[in-house]
Amino acid sequence: MLQEGPYLETLTRRLAETPPDFLTEPKIGPAGMVHVDAVLADIVRELGGGSLPEDVARLLNPPAKEAKERRKFLRLALLVGWLLADPWFRGKPFAQLALDFLRGADLQQLAQMLDAPKLIADAERREELARLVLKALNLRPAGENEAQAQDRLMTINSSERQRVIAAARAAEERARQIREEMARKAAEEAADKWSRE
Amino acid sequence: MATRHPSRVTTRMSDQERFPLLTDAGRALLKRLREHPYAPKYTAECGNRLTAEYLARVKAFEKELQTTPVGWPVGQYPEWLDGFVELCFAEVPFYRNYGERPTRFEDIPTFDRAELSRAPWAFVPDSQALDGLIVNSTSGTTGHPLTVISHPVVGGSYTPLLKAALAKFGITLTSGPGEVACVLVGYQQKAYTYASVTPDQNDAGHLKLNLHPADWRNPDDRARFLDDLQPEIYTGDPLAFAELAQLPLTHTPKALISTAMTLLPGLRQQLETRFQCPVVDIYSMNESGPIAVQVTNSASSVARHQLLHHRLYVEILDAEGNRCPPGARGEVTLTGGFNPFLPLLRYRTNDYAALDFSGGAPTLLNLEGRAPVQFRAVSGQTLSPLDVTGALKPFALPQFTLHQDAAGALRMRVRGSNANPEEIRAALLQLFGVAQALTIEKVQTFGGAGDKVIQYSSDL
Repeated sequence: MLQEGPYLETLTRRLAETPPDFLTEPKIGPAGMVHVDAVLADIVRELGGGSLPEDVARLLNPPAKEAKERRKFLRLALLVGWLLADPWFRGKPFAQLALDFLRGADLQQLAQMLDAPKLIADAERREELARLVLKALNLRPAGENEAQAQDRLMTINSSERQRVIAAARAAEERARQIREEMARKAAEEAADKWSRE
Repeated sequence: MATRHPSRVTTRMSDQERFPLLTDAGRALLKRLREHPYAPKYTAECGNRLTAEYLARVKAFEKELQTTPVGWPVGQYPEWLDGFVELCFAEVPFYRNYGERPTRFEDIPTFDRAELSRAPWAFVPDSQALDGLIVNSTSGTTGHPLTVISHPVVGGSYTPLLKAALAKFGITLTSGPGEVACVLVGYQQKAYTYASVTPDQNDAGHLKLNLHPADWRNPDDRARFLDDLQPEIYTGDPLAFAELAQLPLTHTPKALISTAMTLLPGLRQQLETRFQCPVVDIYSMNESGPIAVQVTNSASSVARHQLLHHRLYVEILDAEGNRCPPGARGEVTLTGGFNPFLPLLRYRTNDYAALDFSGGAPTLLNLEGRAPVQFRAVSGQTLSPLDVTGALKPFALPQFTLHQDAAGALRMRVRGSNANPEEIRAALLQLFGVAQALTIEKVQTFGGAGDKVIQYSSDL
């Protein structure tokens, strides 16, 4: 059963007003500035937790060779940290649930679909992230019952997934056209050039 | 190099398609080159594929080369870089997957040949029309074999780039109709060879030849043919030039242009003495085209390769990916290029140099690229890495290394393949000789940083 949490508007407005520090490039290898593991460690402590578990620390501080795969996730993790730093959550025992959320599939999937700046610029995406965080903490927005909260999350999840699926289909269609053209041209003569490599 | 084997070409073209702008003089020259009594046993046909529109683009690039300064102020970026990065993030699927464009250029992730080889189509901008698309498959003399999506304008643009390199030595090409501008020589068991003409050089001839005696009706025809053609320049790799130097040629070209592998100072000096002309070393790769030209002579203690054109931004990165200051040695990393199907954004080349700005244009110091490697068959015959690649091509091996020790024994390591080792063994023994000592191992990893490997090596 979901307990009542803060008003949704508090969280969505907080996301809309995310300060630049939480949008700064995450540190991965030589790139970036913000140590995401350190930021989230502080926030988890405010939620009653101890040091970050090793697996979460590794998740939030990946090696340089994983930069491409992990960059979007880390940017989203910073936004989650910003949300969890809201005064409503401070001092309450949410650390374990917050850590589970960082580890979980929901956040990974959202990171693959959307980058942080686009998320905070889109009202429906801000709402989606806020609702996902609340659900992860076993909370529902103040003023909604459990059924309403779950219905609404399912609806906005679904609309975004439709958009992402359509975009992925278009990208795959383009890739398929190029591969087809490559296969056709591979059997043809190429074009000459004066030197080799 | 492109190793489209003649047997893989199943769609024959007409000369009209190969040479859309062929003049009468060009047609006559092609006939002469193809039917010459000393011509080799050509294995293929290939043309420039330049239409009027494409040639106009090559000429526009040539004009840019002649009028646009090369380089950028130390500590700053070229003017075009910001718009280029914007395009990459907006339109190129591979870079779009990084997420939003970082504020700082140095926070953009880098990528390498292995990633490019997995999905070359992911680097094509969304708005790039597919008209004129051609495919170049590289032999992979270092690391992974690679398919590069390209265009006739890209190949055509090599001509003004090589001319720009020659201009640094005071050399101008003057060949025209009925004459031969350039002969590209190789030395391999099997190669793609043909005669062509170059509209950007007034339909002067360009030939790709293989100096291996088996490609000729009579080995003596090589010198007779080339002396009759009197090409203005030869291009090729050091191994091919070493063979060229053995031929009793009397014609003196204006220059030799060496590419594809490191030209060692000793060989360079020998070639300069033999041919009485400058031997110009150009750093070039399939992914980017010609990059830089060596402007120092063989006696210099520091080799300097000066950047050739304005459409490349070069960084030197250390093993952790940090940018090295001028003078510090690291991995050459490229951004830009002139191939519309492959805009490069922080592409790590696995070549090493330091960057210097003291001479004007950005210059690479003591560039270390691909070392020349030769193998030896049981018979004593020299084999090129390209011969090995050709023999192993049917197995489509994703990654392998082959090393020949001082005693001549071969050790092959293969990763990520289900190919039958006995079939691989049979292919290699056919090339090297049945008595060849050969071990083949399957490995999970090669153990180097990022699993980069030097594919071919030899203690000979």
